Amino acid sequence: MTKIGLEIHCQLTNLESKLFCSCKANYREFEPNENICPVCAGMPGSLPRLNQEAVKKATMIAMALNCSTPEKIAFFRKNYFYPDLPKNFQITQLNIYGDTSVGGSGTISVGDKKIRITRIQLEEDPGRLIYEGSSSKNQITLVDYNRAGTPLVEIVTEPDFETPKEVRDFLNILSDLLKNLGVADPSLEGAMRADANVSTRDGNKVEIKNIGSFHDLEKAAHFEITRQESLHDRDIPIVQETRHWDDRRKITVSSRSKEEDLDYRYFLEGDIPWVKINPEMQDELKSKMPESISSKKERYVSKYQIPEQVADVLSSDKFYSDLFEDAHTESNAKEVANIITTELMGLEDTREKREASKLTSIHLKDLADAIQTGKVSRNSSKNALHEILKTGKSVSQIISELDLGNVSDETELLKIIDTVISQESQAVEQAKSNPQTINFLVGKVMQATKGKADPTLTLNLLKKQIGI
Amino acid sequence: MNLKISALEFVEEIKTGNITVEEFTAKTIERINQVDDKLHAFLSVNNDAIDQARTIDKKIKSGENVGVCYGMPISIKDNMCIKDTKTTCASKMLENFVAPYDATVISKLKKQDAIFIGKVNMDEFAMGLTTEFSAFGPSKNPWNIDHVPGGSSGGSAVSVSAFECIASLGSDTGGSVRNPASFCSTVGYKPTYGLISRYGLISYANSIEQIGPLTRTVKDTAFMLNLIAGIDPNDNTTIDNKNENYLEGIESGIEGKKIGIITDMIGDGIDPEVLTATKEAISKLEGLGAICEEVSLDMVKYSVAAYYTITATEAGSNLARYDNLRYGYDFPVEGYEFNSYISKARKNFGPEVTRRMIIGGFVPSAGHAGKYFLKAMKVKSKLTKEINEAFKKFDLLIAPTVPIQPFKIGEKIDDPVSLFLVDINTVTANLTGKPAISIPFKIVNGLPIGIQLLANSMDDKLLLKAAYALEQTVTLPEVPI
Amino acid sequence: MVTTEEIEHVSKLMKIDVDNHSEYLEKVQTMISYFDILDSAGVESEEISMPEISIEQLRNDEYIPFDEKLIEKMNHYKGTYVRAPKM
Repeated sequence: MTKIGLEIHCQLTNLESKLFCSCKANYREFEPNENICPVCAGMPGSLPRLNQEAVKKATMIAMALNCSTPEKIAFFRKNYFYPDLPKNFQITQLNIYGDTSVGGSGTISVGDKKIRITRIQLEEDPGRLIYEGSSSKNQITLVDYNRAGTPLVEIVTEPDFETPKEVRDFLNILSDLLKNLGVADPSLEGAMRADANVSTRDGNKVEIKNIGSFHDLEKAAHFEITRQESLHDRDIPIVQETRHWDDRRKITVSSRSKEEDLDYRYFLEGDIPWVKINPEMQDELKSKMPESISSKKERYVSKYQIPEQVADVLSSDKFYSDLFEDAHTESNAKEVANIITTELMGLEDTREKREASKLTSIHLKDLADAIQTGKVSRNSSKNALHEILKTGKSVSQIISELDLGNVSDETELLKIIDTVISQESQAVEQAKSNPQTINFLVGKVMQATKGKADPTLTLNLLKKQIGI
Repeated sequence: MNLKISALEFVEEIKTGNITVEEFTAKTIERINQVDDKLHAFLSVNNDAIDQARTIDKKIKSGENVGVCYGMPISIKDNMCIKDTKTTCASKMLENFVAPYDATVISKLKKQDAIFIGKVNMDEFAMGLTTEFSAFGPSKNPWNIDHVPGGSSGGSAVSVSAFECIASLGSDTGGSVRNPASFCSTVGYKPTYGLISRYGLISYANSIEQIGPLTRTVKDTAFMLNLIAGIDPNDNTTIDNKNENYLEGIESGIEGKKIGIITDMIGDGIDPEVLTATKEAISKLEGLGAICEEVSLDMVKYSVAAYYTITATEAGSNLARYDNLRYGYDFPVEGYEFNSYISKARKNFGPEVTRRMIIGGFVPSAGHAGKYFLKAMKVKSKLTKEINEAFKKFDLLIAPTVPIQPFKIGEKIDDPVSLFLVDINTVTANLTGKPAISIPFKIVNGLPIGIQLLANSMDDKLLLKAAYALEQTVTLPEVPI
Repeated sequence: MVTTEEIEHVSKLMKIDVDNHSEYLEKVQTMISYFDILDSAGVESEEISMPEISIEQLRNDEYIPFDEKLIEKMNHYKGTYVRAPKM
């Protein structure tokens, strides 16, 4: 039986400052070593200063994953030497003196399955290394500490995944959850990384590191399972080891001895006292948490009768569910949801398009209302939407400027219907004998009105004129 | 001009205009030039001191606001960062390290117009009891230059004792302020853990160490504490002392106070002269109205082993950052591979630091942590419980600072365990976080004996009152240099 | 009893090149043997204690850049990088 477990590192990119100092948490816009201070550069005599908001956000993540959250958390040192580690130890969390990391023993649903979360811990990101030089003779390593000290939440799961697809689904759910909580933007480069451990047929566990993206994670898991299965088939035992993902060749490769013989000499971080998060504070954090995705979905379905598929898509997306909340009313909720999911998401499919878009919740509300009251047909509303995104003009302005208004004037419509009837005598005869085929004539009327005819009215009038 | 005045006397003299800051500073530098070749307290002297003194004199003359230190010359142990000055920790590893920021205690004193007259000698990275482990040579005891001045803040104690400055800041991890204070006959103070910010103090054992002043009088220590104590956002381990004034009421005496005599600190191995002095101190305190009774702290006999296990572990980790990549000494990386470069670069640590780091890698390691490190942590917890119990009955505790008098240079350098045990009376205060002070009490055979008092956490004010009271009962001979 | 091999192993771990292992061996052995005294302390059932701080006392999440170009005060290379030996 295949077992896959994950260790996901997620940067808390929505924080202002790093975990232990006041340098910027989002380091991406700086020149190398421009975003550093004595603390994150590991200068002699510097001391860590824990970020209150980081603790709160990490606790909220733990709560969102249904973890237990202890009343006292502690930090530990993980000691090893590496050039990207300014102090040559990492301040992280462990549970060797009881439960002292921000969260433990949680669960999250992936489809019908419940994946167990082992623990959630708060820790600091190391710096970045750049390798220059082509041959091993002239290679040099350059270190940039801008990222050192960025707050990370590590989420460790039990080996409950059985297929790479489950892993992929989980990562998408987790991504949406973190965005929904407002703690991180997983789409930022390097914001979310994951390691996996894979075992097959009760064999040894193999750890896979250096996986660059979620897409690669699925591939890596798939490759590793295949590799192990083929070894099993030849009766070759699986070595318990660490392998890294070679992105170029798309395979896992046994890691060199960097990882061997490592003894991290874990002990309590003496510069940070145990942090008390008492029950009152925990309740306060819980109450401040944004509504969960599943709760939103349930509300959309039960309160607004939005179809489940639509509710699913809408609730998982923080940006659009926020837009929905602002734009909808009791009466137009279903329509708003529909516009968002069937049209808007497709039109604004990149971050740049979203940022450039001039659409506001007022536009959305007005548009939904216009469709519902028949002022504009659903067809025409698509054109309107394009225009709104581009120009930001009001819905009423656009409807009149582009002449998108529904032809719902009966007299005018009758004129057009009579013209169509006279032009399409054959179809008329067919419709008289087979009423289903009347849609052809409806289509002709729509054509003639450039899609602006009110479909229901058109149908009724046609039937009347033909006499069926 | 008399250099042999206390900090408070100095301030008075400057305020009344009897002396100028420039005069006193010049005289101080003259003194340093006169005696420091023999004593080797200083690793570097501030070349801008006279200029700084002149600036302060100008401020005083023009009626501007002057900080309460009034240009007093203070020496700083070379493990505290003063911006843009060399901070070496008496180690070749940091030979060229120039600190890019001020330690919090330095900022505070700067604001009060102190003059940092120089950086003083210490055991390398504060690991030692005699300054014999300094990479730049030991300091000598001004009372007898063949004897050790104590350590690791040896340079601090020597500079104060030999009138090369008015006061000094040292650091105390296992007795490193109190021990040299006792050996050189000055006052040496270790505050409650968390009272003084460690931001800018180069860490050795961060869970138990504190910066502490060394001064000629107890009131001077209280004066210094007023300037440097208090919560600091740059140090998460500091506690709020609510701007306590440590000089206030310092003369109020100790009538009726109960003082516990720690029997485990006057047992086997104590020098008979030190025992006699301790008994005399106890009589003196009883004469002032205190009630003295014996008390035992069972864990004291394990405290040295626990202390060295814990500090080696923390030191091993705190010194890991010295990989010579960002700062250190001149040693280019060309041609080296990572592991070999780092290992070679770190050969510049002295033998004692190297030994402690090996121990520090061993005792918390996967196979051995249970036997050594974890047990040491548990001894620390139990000792803390025991001393807390004692403080339910007693207001203060007393013991000699060091069970022996200052020994000869070279005498203990090859006997590590014998050297460890010099600390037996002082590590308890560090392991338990309690404040402790060493008061100069007696000179026997030309060598000093200091008496130590301890108080409960945050009872620093009471501790200073008791220390003052004891100090006033003795008059000591002058240092013969 | 600590062996020379263990000392070698630990020195690798601590990244210190110890030329003469036996020079250190004796003193380190003596020091570590002294720690055996901890076995008679009878503290197995003790709990580890630590100072505490309340979450409200922690630092506010604010971006405050360091007031200088710190990289200029460190060993730097190729503009603003720190150079490490090859891996």
